Amino acid sequence: MNKQSLSIKVNGRERQTLVAPYYSLLDTLRDELQLTGTKKGCDEGDCGACTVILDGNPVTSCLVLALSAQGSEVTTVEGLASPDTLHPVQQAFIERGGLQCGYCTPGLIMAAVGLLQDNLQPSAEEVKFAIGNNLCRCTGYTKVVEAILLAAERMAAAE
Amino acid sequence: MTTFKVLEQNNPRVDAWEKVTGRATYAGDVYLPGMLMCKVLASSRSHARIVSIDTSKAEALPGVRAVITGADFPEIRFGSGALKDRYILARDKVYYIGEPVAAVAAEDEITAQEAIGLIDVEYEDLEPVVDPLVSLRAGAPSVHPDLESYEGYGFTIEGGNICTLLDADRGDVDQAFAEADYVFEDTFRSQGINQGFLEPMACVASVEANGRLTVWASTQGPYQVRAQLASVLDMPLSNIKVVPMELGGGFGAKLRLAFEAYPALLAMKTGNPVKLINTREEVFTLNGPRHPVTNYLKTGVNKDGAIVAREGYTIFDVGAYLGAGPNSGIGHGLGAYDIPNFRLRSYAAYTNKVYVGSYRASGVADMTFAVESHMDIIAHKIGMDPLEFRLKNAIKEGDIAVNGSRVPRNGLAECLAAVKERLGLPRELPEGHGVGIALCEWRSGAGPSTAAISVNEDGTVSLLTGSVDISGSDTSLASIAAEALCIGMDQVIVAKRDTDLAPFTGPSGGSRIVYSQGKAVELAAEDTRNKLFALAADRLGVPADALVCAEGRVYVQDNPPQGYTLGQLAAMSVNSRFGPIVGNAALSTLPYAPVFSAQAAEVEVDKETGQVKLTRYVQCQDVGVAINPMAVEGQLEGGAVQGIGRALTEDMLFDPETGAVRNPSFATYLMPLALDLPELETLMVRVPSEDGPFGARAVAEPPGFGPPAAIANAIYDAVGVRIRELPLSGERVLAALRGEGSDVAYIGDELDELKRAEGLAG
Repeated sequence: MNKQSLSIKVNGRERQTLVAPYYSLLDTLRDELQLTGTKKGCDEGDCGACTVILDGNPVTSCLVLALSAQGSEVTTVEGLASPDTLHPVQQAFIERGGLQCGYCTPGLIMAAVGLLQDNLQPSAEEVKFAIGNNLCRCTGYTKVVEAILLAAERMAAAE
Repeated sequence: MTTFKVLEQNNPRVDAWEKVTGRATYAGDVYLPGMLMCKVLASSRSHARIVSIDTSKAEALPGVRAVITGADFPEIRFGSGALKDRYILARDKVYYIGEPVAAVAAEDEITAQEAIGLIDVEYEDLEPVVDPLVSLRAGAPSVHPDLESYEGYGFTIEGGNICTLLDADRGDVDQAFAEADYVFEDTFRSQGINQGFLEPMACVASVEANGRLTVWASTQGPYQVRAQLASVLDMPLSNIKVVPMELGGGFGAKLRLAFEAYPALLAMKTGNPVKLINTREEVFTLNGPRHPVTNYLKTGVNKDGAIVAREGYTIFDVGAYLGAGPNSGIGHGLGAYDIPNFRLRSYAAYTNKVYVGSYRASGVADMTFAVESHMDIIAHKIGMDPLEFRLKNAIKEGDIAVNGSRVPRNGLAECLAAVKERLGLPRELPEGHGVGIALCEWRSGAGPSTAAISVNEDGTVSLLTGSVDISGSDTSLASIAAEALCIGMDQVIVAKRDTDLAPFTGPSGGSRIVYSQGKAVELAAEDTRNKLFALAADRLGVPADALVCAEGRVYVQDNPPQGYTLGQLAAMSVNSRFGPIVGNAALSTLPYAPVFSAQAAEVEVDKETGQVKLTRYVQCQDVGVAINPMAVEGQLEGGAVQGIGRALTEDMLFDPETGAVRNPSFATYLMPLALDLPELETLMVRVPSEDGPFGARAVAEPPGFGPPAAIANAIYDAVGVRIRELPLSGERVLAALRGEGSDVAYIGDELDELKRAEGLAG
């Protein structure tokens, strides 16, 4: 199939690449733009491991056709930290033990970032709802929820 | 309690930074120049002879570089244990829907997928057998007609498709049943379960310039993959290097060779690196899950509540190949109890379904559901409080465990007491609410373990082990080294390993890493410390036993300023008569150290719909010493949630005619999400083990055992119906409430047949 040109802003940088019409945003990020932090757990929109922020909203990037994101702005897990400072959500995941094998972690972090950009005082239920599409088989979610609440508290205090 | 400097602290994981930034590299994240993509053709038949395979159209497709079938591999069967019952790629026959029949390497994934569709396979169907209770009967369609000729076949009872029998006996069971005041019998059935790891199986294989094969794998057992790969490729083991990448969950499913042989052979054929990543559907259909288990239990009890005899017959469906088989199931038929007379049997029966794999203490969760439901039933029937009945029969220090070893000190009673106190049991609950408990037991896993530690000139140490990080084990191993060497966690570098570099070690599974590998690290650190002390003593002119260490220094106990930092000693060692400081240790086994966990569920049952709502989950485990309490809690919480999924929603559905997996997706195989769960209450008691590092015990297996029985017992407490089959779905509960529920199929006939075959009275 003929590839087409895709222009997309990823983690603040304008990127251009050639993609086939069937490429998902997930495969484009991983295979074409070498951003492998975003994970493929099912490729069916069921697990949330591929969650990224697309034009301000958390989405499962496996269900987004790359060309439909033409001209859009995407933030992936690689776009959160500066070389020596972590995003508060990343920091809280470390401190509260919100990760184990780490495969679902980028997706959970992006879902949390998506929540906290709109709501810095979420309840535990709101946090659970925000990560309601993210499967994690290791942690049992307790420490993930604690980490997100801690990040919210710190981000609210910093405002 | 000993005062620790590093242990018992919530230190962050050593790999946390790379994991939260997306930089951790999993096998699927390996991209190499010229890399081809591999796809697998799966059998569409349950049981069939392969008449012919025509790959010519696939090979002619532009972009396709190579196609392989079973005939391209040496004609060598392999297996997970002694019995070699499986070819790596189907030859002559297929045994289940989903079995790999051919593999393609192409320039991109979509071309590989298209090529798969162009391979023509002609099959001649054979009669399949799907139900293990049918399969084990004499006269059932034979899954492996030539089984007796297979290497490693050592089974002596004839009949059907039985490929393994594990047994354990003590005392005179029949006499004890005859003399017991009461005898109770129950049959339970647990469902097929998928491990549910988030990272699909993935690997990249490449032939290096020196002709050796390198495999970047998602595995818990790099040395097992190396050995099995060498076997199926008929190649010297020394020609293969396995690089275990970051592991995105395994839970037992990644202990052994999976699909690494296909990209390996395709890389050898094409000269290019080849990558294979399973789809989620393939994870469900091609790779070994756990199959349904039928458990028959019979127990003799006296009026005072003392259990005098237990008989247990367990039938494991192993699918098309023995795979992980019954594995740990036998030996857990007694539960956490001291029972003087027992007869336990675990049968493994072949069926035409995907072969069985390992999953978090394979078989024990099934056994625990049966044993702990059965205990509850008996307690109610003899009018004893379920918790008191358990405590009365609980195994104690000095008793002889089912494996024949003496039970060492442990915290079983403390765990039960902690849960009782937390819940305020016995407790009256509102209408429709109930509470149930379960007692779980496991052993701390042992097995070959090695470690090497070298001290660097800046006072840091490099720790090398062959074990793959599983559930934060690298962090625990680093903590053990730091504690023993009087340095901080940030002073320990955990080396990334591969099979060329690291000393041999057993796989990361069975809750063995902290207990056994951790012991090797503790011993290697002691060896290192002795060498540091010897050098310091030599330079300071004092005896070594006058020295102590703290905060990265070795010094004279009576005169702390007199001493050296580890960095100074490392620098001095280079030109000393001792040479550079390297400590190491190796061990092959450790004594039995039991792990006990008491768990309790509170539920609310909707009598209109049968829906079960889990409102509270409490567990308490004896962890010995918490190497890292945050990490231990994480294991206990995560394990319990896997058990809650097993109890309530997870269910691998197999077509009764063909054995095909009917729900191969996360949308249809329902694992718990954050919103499905109550707050988990996680307690620990600490009774140090006699042999584990600093007294630690294994952690990860038991938390998942309890939920099915605890929740089933809570449902009984809430609405008075007993569900003997998993999952505990609303449908089953409602049927039971209406008195319609078909109970689990009684296995009387099959049992009689098995007993006759064994020469026991049927």
